[in-house]
Amino acid sequence: MIMVENLSVHYPDTKVEALTNINVSFNKGDFVCVLGKSGAGKSTFIRCINGLQKPTGGEIYIDDQRVSTLKEEQLRKVRREMGMVFQHFSLIPRLSVQQNILTGTFGYRSSFKNMIGYFTANELELAKRVISSVGLTEMANRRVEYLSGGQKQRVGIARALMQQPKILLGDEPVASLDPGTSNHIFTLLKEMHERLKLLTIINVHDVDLAKRYATRIIAFKNGHLIYDGSPEDFNDKEYYETYESEQQNSFFSM
Amino acid sequence: MWFRKSNIITVALLILFVYISMRLTEFDLTKFRDFRNMIDFLSQWFPMDFSKLPGMLEDTFETLAMAFLGSFLALLIVLPISFIAARNTSSSKFLFHFSRISLSFVRSIPEIVFGLILLTTLGLGPFPAVIAIMFHNVGVLGKLISELIEAADPGPQEAMRAVGAKKWLANLFSILPQIWPNVLSQFFYRFEVAIRTSLILGFIGGGGIGQRLFNDFKTFQYSSVSLDVLIIMIMVIIIDFLASFVRNRII
Repeated sequence: MIMVENLSVHYPDTKVEALTNINVSFNKGDFVCVLGKSGAGKSTFIRCINGLQKPTGGEIYIDDQRVSTLKEEQLRKVRREMGMVFQHFSLIPRLSVQQNILTGTFGYRSSFKNMIGYFTANELELAKRVISSVGLTEMANRRVEYLSGGQKQRVGIARALMQQPKILLGDEPVASLDPGTSNHIFTLLKEMHERLKLLTIINVHDVDLAKRYATRIIAFKNGHLIYDGSPEDFNDKEYYETYESEQQNSFFSM
Repeated sequence: MWFRKSNIITVALLILFVYISMRLTEFDLTKFRDFRNMIDFLSQWFPMDFSKLPGMLEDTFETLAMAFLGSFLALLIVLPISFIAARNTSSSKFLFHFSRISLSFVRSIPEIVFGLILLTTLGLGPFPAVIAIMFHNVGVLGKLISELIEAADPGPQEAMRAVGAKKWLANLFSILPQIWPNVLSQFFYRFEVAIRTSLILGFIGGGGIGQRLFNDFKTFQYSSVSLDVLIIMIMVIIIDFLASFVRNRII
């Protein structure tokens, strides 16, 4: 479903290669957790997949479409089938839970309808179902800035689900949440993953979470892919490789 | 301990600037020796003459209307322009620089200059004053709002791009709700400033309570001047109060 070929990214203002020659592919049904230290390239990797970050080399194919050569209009069509969940939730302030969730449909609708806020009965019905599936029915009309972190991330997930995605991306979706809430969020993500038969790719810091939920783990270090395999095989040695050994390059990277 | 050599130099320079400025402005406190003149003059202001009150109130509303219309039309015009004049939402480098430079050009021309030009070409009255206020505020609000846009949290913008929204729509939806309270706050501030400006524009023929004040003053009707001043003070205080009330409600 996604094929990554020789993907490289370097940021012009630093000499550090964020990603070097990554080759990997993902299939429908994979629940992939991406591990690595801060600055290892996880975030850059996820952002390349939906084109928020432009690669400096290599290619990404999504359903055999080359992402890097797509025009803005075609890129939008690829993006609207990919939900994304963010670390800091990235909700629109001052809008309600329901309004935020409805913005998930924007890629499918005309700008005029989006501007005036006209939604069809089907879209409103879908929003209602999605809101109840993330357990926020009572909060639907509340402004998002009054929600707790966990609730905000549920809105983030619901917005992604409104896209009726085939792929779900997560850039550290639980990094600003407490352990209990993180667990709830992962349970929800896994449930949606299975119900909607998605391909899910999520960055995490927490190795235990990854091992508990992922069907596959990949790990980055200094921009290189150093592990790609089952969660069961990611053990002490791999953990040490990913997180503990030499410190080079990590100082200046993000 | 607390002072460094550079502090002493700064203070010395400040004293020099104060001295030069005093020389240039003929700053001389001994001129207050003739303070009695002022008392004599101000005593002519009282008692106030209330006979022209209805006309004065009418002019006051005219002033308010000038200020409101000028600043509000400026806000409407400038909202879309601000997105072009913000680095993060501009569609091209050229348009960004072009709009920024145009805005600072417009901003650099004081309302009174616009007023003098427009009052001469369009004729006396409040309409040219409204246009003058509008022009200047397009420049000012354009700078303020485009800077708000540049400082907006990029998270929601990325999220809107990620759902596949068109770029301009993504920017609009992710940025406008974020900056809206600040936009209104700036607007109300500019509205207050516009009230003071429209008084000055009245002096050069722009109508409103400013023009009445100027005429009363020039025709030595000091008992009317005092009431004009009182009405202006009350108006400014009420608007200050209303503006802060509305601001608090919105934020």
